[in-house]
Amino acid sequence: MRSYAAALAWEFWRRHRWGLAILVIYLAALLVFAAVMGTTDPSPARMALLASVVGTAAIPLVAAYMLVLVVFSFGSQADLASRESIYPGRMLTLPVRTAALTFWPMFYGTVAAASLWLIVARFVFWPCGMELPLVWPALLAASFLAWTQVVMWMPYPLPLLRAFAAVVLLGVLLVTPQLAIQLAVPDGVIAAVLAPSLPLAYVAACVAVGRARRGDVPDWRWLLALPRRIAESRTRRKADFTSPARAQVWFEWRRHGRSLPFIVGILLPFALLLLFIADSDMPDVVLNTLAGVCFLPPFMAGFAATTVSKANPYVRDYYGVPPFTGTRPLTSAGLVAAKLEMAAWSTLAAWLLVLIATPLALTLSGQWPVITNAVQSWLAVESPLRVAVITVLIGLGLVAFTWKQLVQNLYVGLTGREWFVKLTVFVGLAILALVLPIGKWVYDHEQVRASFRDLLPWLAGIAVGLKASAVVWIVRGLRRRRLLRDRTLVTIGTCWLICFVCLLGLLLWLVPARLAPWYLLALGAALILPLARPAAAPLALAWNRHR
Amino acid sequence: MSESVVDIQGVTRRFGPKTALDDVSLTVPRGVVFGLVGANGAGKTTLIKHVLGLLRAETGSVRVFGRDPVADPVGVLSRIGYLSEENDLPGWMRVDELIRYTRAFYPDWDDTYAEELRQTFALDPAARVKNLSKGQRARAGLLIALAYRPSLLLLDEPSSGLDPIVRRDILAAIIRTIADEGRTVLFSSHLLEEVERVADHVTMIDQGKIALSAPLDAIKESHRCLTLRFAESRPQPPVVPGVLVWEGAGQEWTAVCRDGPARLEEAANQWGAQIVAERVPSLDEIFVARVGIPASAVAEE
Repeated sequence: MRSYAAALAWEFWRRHRWGLAILVIYLAALLVFAAVMGTTDPSPARMALLASVVGTAAIPLVAAYMLVLVVFSFGSQADLASRESIYPGRMLTLPVRTAALTFWPMFYGTVAAASLWLIVARFVFWPCGMELPLVWPALLAASFLAWTQVVMWMPYPLPLLRAFAAVVLLGVLLVTPQLAIQLAVPDGVIAAVLAPSLPLAYVAACVAVGRARRGDVPDWRWLLALPRRIAESRTRRKADFTSPARAQVWFEWRRHGRSLPFIVGILLPFALLLLFIADSDMPDVVLNTLAGVCFLPPFMAGFAATTVSKANPYVRDYYGVPPFTGTRPLTSAGLVAAKLEMAAWSTLAAWLLVLIATPLALTLSGQWPVITNAVQSWLAVESPLRVAVITVLIGLGLVAFTWKQLVQNLYVGLTGREWFVKLTVFVGLAILALVLPIGKWVYDHEQVRASFRDLLPWLAGIAVGLKASAVVWIVRGLRRRRLLRDRTLVTIGTCWLICFVCLLGLLLWLVPARLAPWYLLALGAALILPLARPAAAPLALAWNRHR
Repeated sequence: MSESVVDIQGVTRRFGPKTALDDVSLTVPRGVVFGLVGANGAGKTTLIKHVLGLLRAETGSVRVFGRDPVADPVGVLSRIGYLSEENDLPGWMRVDELIRYTRAFYPDWDDTYAEELRQTFALDPAARVKNLSKGQRARAGLLIALAYRPSLLLLDEPSSGLDPIVRRDILAAIIRTIADEGRTVLFSSHLLEEVERVADHVTMIDQGKIALSAPLDAIKESHRCLTLRFAESRPQPPVVPGVLVWEGAGQEWTAVCRDGPARLEEAANQWGAQIVAERVPSLDEIFVARVGIPASAVAEE
């Protein structure tokens, strides 16, 4: 290995070999499936079915592309909020020209991103009857990656500016081709527009890496001096924490609590922008936009959740509990409780933003009549009480769902085992890759759908049985390690049962018996209410904290 | 000796193929300054992490104040002040926030003492931890480890972060004060001069095993450094029981020996060699003699 290019290629492979190997296996499985199924019976009905199944099986490709983005932009363990470039400092001191330091990661990344699309489109989608364009999506994938590298490697004058730049720049890059498709712009023109963005990205990346190399980080923090002084004076006036638990909640809030409101706050204006674009005769667009806004916090909570259990990136063991946290005189259950409470505050803050911004946007865009009409239409078929209860329930359900999204996989990160985190992601994606095509196939076939409906209570029963077994195992672990007192366990169990009874009562009142029998609703309620995974969090943390 | 604060019995710890601790037994009595010395990777931090409960004993047992630090982290950690080698204080906190946050966990937090330490260490309360220098971060870590007057102060390689002035004057003074108040200090270091200056009891760890553990005075009492002049030049020194290491060339050889100089003096008489110098070796010399290349490897059979 005598060249920088070879050494860098080896480092990418060595460091991310498991993720990249899984990606290769997944691609190979898709290719084999397409090769075997695509040629046996080319009748239109079969090809349509195949296209539908392959289309859903390819959804994890998004995750594969995200992996490529993270690997080649050096973003896996970076502090995205910092002002400094995230280009690895150790590489900046190598005796290599800046142009080469920039070129090779960008070359490998863009080739990988474009190849991913070209292989899947040409050898998976095409044989299955999905004649998708090759060139411009490959160029888009490469451009998106190159500009992500620019955004990541550039030093910024203010903290968090990188996140804002990413949303704006990459949003433009994603939206422009979609607009072009809507406006029926020929593929060649889209490709011609995208192609020059690659050399432009290279030039911008050279500037970014060059500045990072010189330690040239512009400093505009004076702009924040006044708000910071106000914030600091408020902080200084604050009384002492009343208990260790309060202090820990504050700690968690400062570390992770602001992520979700921040993400929602950045994306919300873009989501609400459609209200201003939609005409008064497009009620569907307005209602769909509002539905999208309502699902923004729970959807983004899934991403924010990855940071909640993340350990300190500045310590040697990235996944483990940092000694500073591990040596707090607080039980592992207490540390987890602080995270759960912080997640609740984070959820409320994110929803507060939605509740303020949405009525404001409706007022400014003059779209209130659409909402009024929709409510009136609903009142014509349902009683006002039922409408009010369902509205409140949907609202509370979405808030609870957001919180659940933040905390349900807490236990994965808290284990502190890199192999477990990666295995969970892999298993999740594998299940997604299997369940989605099967679900689509079931949905498309009336007979299978009917059989599935008959089987549903049994499947739900098995799932509840598995959940109950997991709960028993977790409770035994919690008791054996004395992580929670029996009284606390009984209180948690009682609260869960009360929630279960309330939810079941509401479902029985709202869902007609002909649609779903009571036992199916009971099984559904038992599955929806979180118990096993949040309860596993103290166990996971104790496993990590006392290795 | 009074009751023990830390009691470690038969602890073995492996990380993959590497044995970090090999059947280690150690007792730290109350009110002493206990120095843990060893080369990098000898197992000092691993041992300290067992005391903190950050590592679970795979075999054997660890008791701190008579409790298991894994089973009862609150009971143990609330009485320990810890300065981590990793210096992992949250960078986003300001110094005053760090103090406010930490004091919530300790009912015995002494505001006056904390302020005194802050001024001694010249820490700006409005400064963010991430903007502090390495030495200042270590001082901030030391402040929050000391301000509640813990019963046991654990310092993991404090010298690696502190500048010479703080290390030599302030840290030594603090450690002595703590010991004088009847509290216990357990600190690890590979700077043996520093250990020699403050420790009452020294334990040497080498490749996960305890090479030597005794009060510092007893260690120094039992070791001697003698320089011998032989009548003729020698390519290698002779083998003498009790000699840990030989250094020198030609006619003049210096030996570090254990259990007093008697056996070496007797051997010197037999060979007609003359003892030209005798002194008490430094801890550094004893350490090198104990865990370095053994005398038998260089001596002639």
